[in-house]
Amino acid sequence: MRQRLLTVIALAGVLVAACGQSTSTPSPSSSKQGGTLTVAIGVAPDTLDPMRQTTTTIQNIVQMAVETLVQVNKQGQLEPLLATSWSHSSDGTTWTFTLRKGVKFSDGEPFNAQAVVTSIDRALDPTNVCPLCGQMPKFVQSVTATDSDHVQFTLNQPVATNFFLGNLSGVQFGILAPNTIQKGTPAYKDDEHPVGTGPYILQEYVSGDHVTMVRNPNYWGKKPAYKEQIIKIVPTAATREALLRADQAQVILDPPTADLPSLESDPNLKVLLAPDDRTIFISLDTVSTSQPLLQKVEVRQALNYAVNKAAIVKGTLYGAAVPMTAPMAPSLFGYCKMPDQYNYDPAKAKQLLQAAGAEGMTLKLISPTGRYIQDFQAAENVASYLRQVGINVEGPTTMDWPTYISTINVPPDKATTDAGLLGWAPGFLDASQQMVIFDGPLQPPKGLNTAYYNNPTVNNLISEAATQLNTTKRAAEYCQAEKIIWNDAPWIFLWVQKFPIAYSAKVTGVSYVPNESFNTIYAAPA
Amino acid sequence: MLTYVVRRLLIAIPTLWGVVTGAFIISRLLPGDPARIMAGLNATQQQVDRLRHQLGLDKPLWVQYQDYMGQLLHGNLGFSPHFSAPVAAQIAQRLPYTAELAVLATAIAVVVGVTIGVLAALRRNTLLDLILSAFAVFGVSMPVYWLGLMLILIFAIDLRALPAAGADSPQSVILPAVTLALFSIGLIARMTRASMLEVLGQDYVRTARAKGAPHRRVVLKHALRNAVLPILTAIGLQFGGLLGGAVLTESVFGWPGVGQLLVNSIFYRDYPMVQGLVLLFGVTYVVINLLVDLMYAYVDPRIRFD
Repeated sequence: MRQRLLTVIALAGVLVAACGQSTSTPSPSSSKQGGTLTVAIGVAPDTLDPMRQTTTTIQNIVQMAVETLVQVNKQGQLEPLLATSWSHSSDGTTWTFTLRKGVKFSDGEPFNAQAVVTSIDRALDPTNVCPLCGQMPKFVQSVTATDSDHVQFTLNQPVATNFFLGNLSGVQFGILAPNTIQKGTPAYKDDEHPVGTGPYILQEYVSGDHVTMVRNPNYWGKKPAYKEQIIKIVPTAATREALLRADQAQVILDPPTADLPSLESDPNLKVLLAPDDRTIFISLDTVSTSQPLLQKVEVRQALNYAVNKAAIVKGTLYGAAVPMTAPMAPSLFGYCKMPDQYNYDPAKAKQLLQAAGAEGMTLKLISPTGRYIQDFQAAENVASYLRQVGINVEGPTTMDWPTYISTINVPPDKATTDAGLLGWAPGFLDASQQMVIFDGPLQPPKGLNTAYYNNPTVNNLISEAATQLNTTKRAAEYCQAEKIIWNDAPWIFLWVQKFPIAYSAKVTGVSYVPNESFNTIYAAPA
Repeated sequence: MLTYVVRRLLIAIPTLWGVVTGAFIISRLLPGDPARIMAGLNATQQQVDRLRHQLGLDKPLWVQYQDYMGQLLHGNLGFSPHFSAPVAAQIAQRLPYTAELAVLATAIAVVVGVTIGVLAALRRNTLLDLILSAFAVFGVSMPVYWLGLMLILIFAIDLRALPAAGADSPQSVILPAVTLALFSIGLIARMTRASMLEVLGQDYVRTARAKGAPHRRVVLKHALRNAVLPILTAIGLQFGGLLGGAVLTESVFGWPGVGQLLVNSIFYRDYPMVQGLVLLFGVTYVVINLLVDLMYAYVDPRIRFD
């Protein structure tokens, strides 16, 4: 098949391939070698199998050992990793990847095209569990090794470049040593000891206690500074902080939010409020029959003007967020800043409510507790602002997470609340992953469009952009959709969360990817 | 004795059946879809449905119950969808940690609690009694969460003497065990004090003193041995409670025991794991109660089970 080079070998990629070092990996400011780095996290791994993963933090740990064909860098851009370049046919249905040479798995097996085919086939096997494989099993018809260094993906239909590569950057499509995941073996279904090509090797996981990663002496790229990283599981945020202060952990994720100012002022510690892609919002029932006033655009806009998001971010979230400036986070491809912002304007809110005949309207509000940064406290703040413009807010009421999801993720006729606080982190940094939550056909139970928002123009733009191979046109389509959504206000657009990481001043090179990911691979003693 | 033990174990069967059935029903009554929770918010409905089918959650409830009971009768606790591993294997990994914690906490609680209780009873209505009783009340009243963090603050951060969390060194168990023990110390001390006060007023204690037995012997041999029965009951119940109830302590100290496992399993609606753990706690209570009853006979020769 005639191949046309369209999206290939970014200059950075060539450089990376040439020097054998990834641009996403921050270079430590010192070249000191270290012994053990202890990182405390709050969530215990349910599985370490890349294919079965659903939790970003655990994916970050797995990514220390398992690499993907492409990866997302600190700027949120896609770049080569195990593939050095790629191209697709003019109709966008055949993709060819050139693989990095001289790479070996940590068990000594050679990395080649057949290894890629084995891993991808496993993830796409419908009898396997791969919650984050998304639409890929539907789009990918076959994966073949054309020779030892080239892999070809044949798709059923053209898909946008960022969409396809974004999917492949997920650890669920990580490349595992083929001998360890042979079909017919238990590991084919569930590989709890993944063997990859990464800078670290998974040494052990003591259930509920810690994961130990040791440096891969034969890593193809730049070697990490720390010989060993222990990822300690500590569910209580205050205890994680104690570990850091006692120097029993050098890096902690999600310290207690209220302690951020005190951690920031401690000269022995550093706080990184990493950019994130998780938007926090109040989903409004746009087709509510119990509160039909919510069907009016002006009412929903009024709710947006009524809430002082900047003040809540400062006072309740201690700066661990930035108010939304579009229906998605700035780190996503396709983001464009909205020309008219919903700045705090209670007078305008009252005026809009009055014009819509919605003065004194009642609004039932629910919120989870402990799922997002200061979520319930923020919902209480929102309720207070809404009351100030004359809205009779019932709530916020709260419940545990499974109950919450089963309350809010229901078809419109089963809805029992008018508004609910939610957070959404896109599968990867592409507008398509945020738009699923505004896509009309993807209302519960088919999807998580909990506002039941359904605008045919937006739906068409989303469909067009999904298969649009022209990147500029695709960005424009998303931008147009965002403007319509912003104006329709199916949400009270709140903020984009940040990802707080606190670490010892004795450590440098602690980094992130703007999708709620931490990266300590190239951390080093300061 | 053997007949008694066998009879007690047979009686335990319907109790445990009730416990398992109760856990099965209650876990299903909780709102929340295990398949959705497991697949994550980003999974498509098709993937969630497929997972639900794989987990057998699309079968009628009574069929699920029948399947589960069938497994149990074959000695199989089931398969945890959250961990994608057998329930028994997960519990086997975590139980030694909780057992270690519970045994050490009980040992501390017994030694300290009984000592405080005896001293308080002997110095009844003195300042010492007041101080010891206040300490016991403090132990019972302090929230584990707060107490644990205070101990971490003092011993891990300020003194840098002990690990703040985890289970990777032998010293790691000290802070969680002390935290867990404090609650039991309070209860055991109060129980010991009350029981000792009752016994110290008995004729045989007066007789022992009258015949010139040393004070130490009167207290330990004549009084404490007779006062020990209600204390034993309290210790037994406490131990059972510690095994299952170390949930908060384990969370605060990041201790990888079954308490944390239970909390996570409930949050993830991991039904087989919740059922397996509830059964474990049920069995623990049954066995502890039986052991306490058997110890009665050892402590009080008048008690015979035949």
